[in-house]
Amino acid sequence: MTLPGRFLPWLRDTLLRMFPHATRPGLRRIGRPGPDAPVLLTGNFTLTVARLERVLAGRDAWLLVADSHGINVWCAAGGGHLTHHDVIAVIRSSGIGERVAHRRLWLPQLAATGVERRVVEARTGWRADWGPARLEDLPAFLDRGERVARRERTMRFPPWERLEMALVWAAPTTLVAAAALVPLVGIAAALAGALSIGLVIFGIFAALPRLPVEGPRRWLTYAGGALLAGGLAAGADALLGGSGHAGWLLGAATLAMLALSVDLAGTTPWYASTINSAGNRFDLVLDRERCTGAADCVRVCPRDVLRMDGRERKVRIAEPEACIRCGACVVQCPEDALFFRFADGRVAPPAQVRATRMNMLGRRAVPVPTDEAPRSS
Amino acid sequence: MSSYVYMKVLESTPERYDRGMRLLSRGRIDGLWEAVAERAAAPGRRVLDVGCGTGGVTLACARRGARVTGLDKDAGMLAVARAKAAAAGLAVDWLEAGVMELEDVVEPGGFDAVVSCLAMSELLPEERAYALARLARALAPGGLLVLADEVRPAGRLARLGWSLARAPRAALTWLLAARLTHPVDGLADEARAAGFVDVTEERLPPGDFALVSARAPAPPPEVRP
Repeated sequence: MTLPGRFLPWLRDTLLRMFPHATRPGLRRIGRPGPDAPVLLTGNFTLTVARLERVLAGRDAWLLVADSHGINVWCAAGGGHLTHHDVIAVIRSSGIGERVAHRRLWLPQLAATGVERRVVEARTGWRADWGPARLEDLPAFLDRGERVARRERTMRFPPWERLEMALVWAAPTTLVAAAALVPLVGIAAALAGALSIGLVIFGIFAALPRLPVEGPRRWLTYAGGALLAGGLAAGADALLGGSGHAGWLLGAATLAMLALSVDLAGTTPWYASTINSAGNRFDLVLDRERCTGAADCVRVCPRDVLRMDGRERKVRIAEPEACIRCGACVVQCPEDALFFRFADGRVAPPAQVRATRMNMLGRRAVPVPTDEAPRSS
Repeated sequence: MSSYVYMKVLESTPERYDRGMRLLSRGRIDGLWEAVAERAAAPGRRVLDVGCGTGGVTLACARRGARVTGLDKDAGMLAVARAKAAAAGLAVDWLEAGVMELEDVVEPGGFDAVVSCLAMSELLPEERAYALARLARALAPGGLLVLADEVRPAGRLARLGWSLARAPRAALTWLLAARLTHPVDGLADEARAAGFVDVTEERLPPGDFALVSARAPAPPPEVRP
């Protein structure tokens, strides 16, 4: 393969992976699937499809690639780019119905913020269920006879993934910092500054969840990061014999940390996005009167926030602090028993969340409807 | 997670869609909507707008007195369309469904005209074949189909000029609305393949928009589910 032939896909899948990259939607075969092979669905983000094909190598399965505009499943579903309409479209246009003897479709759990499972079932006659949240759990899920273990519903943030996300932030930040610093402090000090910033970014990702990256306390993290990166750079600069650059280096580190503060939290699987709340914090509320214990919400929660209360046959919000306000439970509840409430008492009812997904939900608060006021427990 | 940053920058794009399309089409998008409505809509006529988006064509048809149904899979776009219709005092039926779900939400033969503007190009070729066959079924025998989409001009040099002239506007539009139109060639042939008759194609000056008009055959072709 030529150098650009290798380098460009690498660049696309690492430093440029925050940008969408689309592969062709439609039906793909993994191995030699027959009429009884499982049917799995995903979006058409190039990296996801490549990883799926890798983890499923050696098995036989049908892979339906829905058009998610080249965005990964979670972000596409949360942004309204991967919905039940896209799932229905690929079921019908791919001809999968003629290739398999069954009518069972496994959806990625993280698509639950956008794909209304029950609409897929009603319109296609397929039975649609949630598979594991993470694609690397698919082999175990298949080996177990297509059953999801509870731990596979909860989002982990393993070291290799932290490294990837840290790189996504560190690469542009250090490049811009180095380019801006060179004319101000010279090449050696600029490199010291950029490397220190990069090191601190990796450090922040490594220290999660011990460092706060959401709420007002996140400013402690970023101020500490700026001081540490600025101090490291100034120290290195002093050792290299430079002097008088500490101010520039600290300034660059401060700007870099301000860039991170825009939404570092939203690029992890453990925190709510800062931007979507638009400065208007909202929390999940359960109307226990309406809850019938269908438990759709329990099956789609990526943070294990919701649990079944066995005795009462109702759901309860067991871990409110862990909620990342992704909206999956609100979208999936067949009884509209879950909704978001803002600090000022206004709400985002289920219909609103289903229409706009999480896009700037913080700006979309509405007064509590008077005819059918949601109650909270 | 990885597209989060990108997604955040472009969120709530339906509100910016109309501005984006005006920019990309150099202000000609309103003329295109009117051209489609002029061919398809008349007082009392039942018109279905497939992929209605923010309701540009839908409202142009409703203003001409047609009984219009707007269909789109994007709930956010429909919310903008609803608000525009309410502001203009026009009554329209809105349906949230994709083109591939047409058979689930509309009765066969229930429309005198089906229009679709800049939506066929959003589909994959195999989806278009499926969708065009369903559009034929949604129409009453002899009903009118009007498709409008972007096309590339014929000839290599003209295409190069078109691409170069479009690139900066396309980049701006994408930044503004997170959406682009995609040129599609051969819509007229695809309509013929789906069973439509009397297929004609016009180019709107300066030649980068095509209007395909056709009639549903009578009786409508059988489509296997």
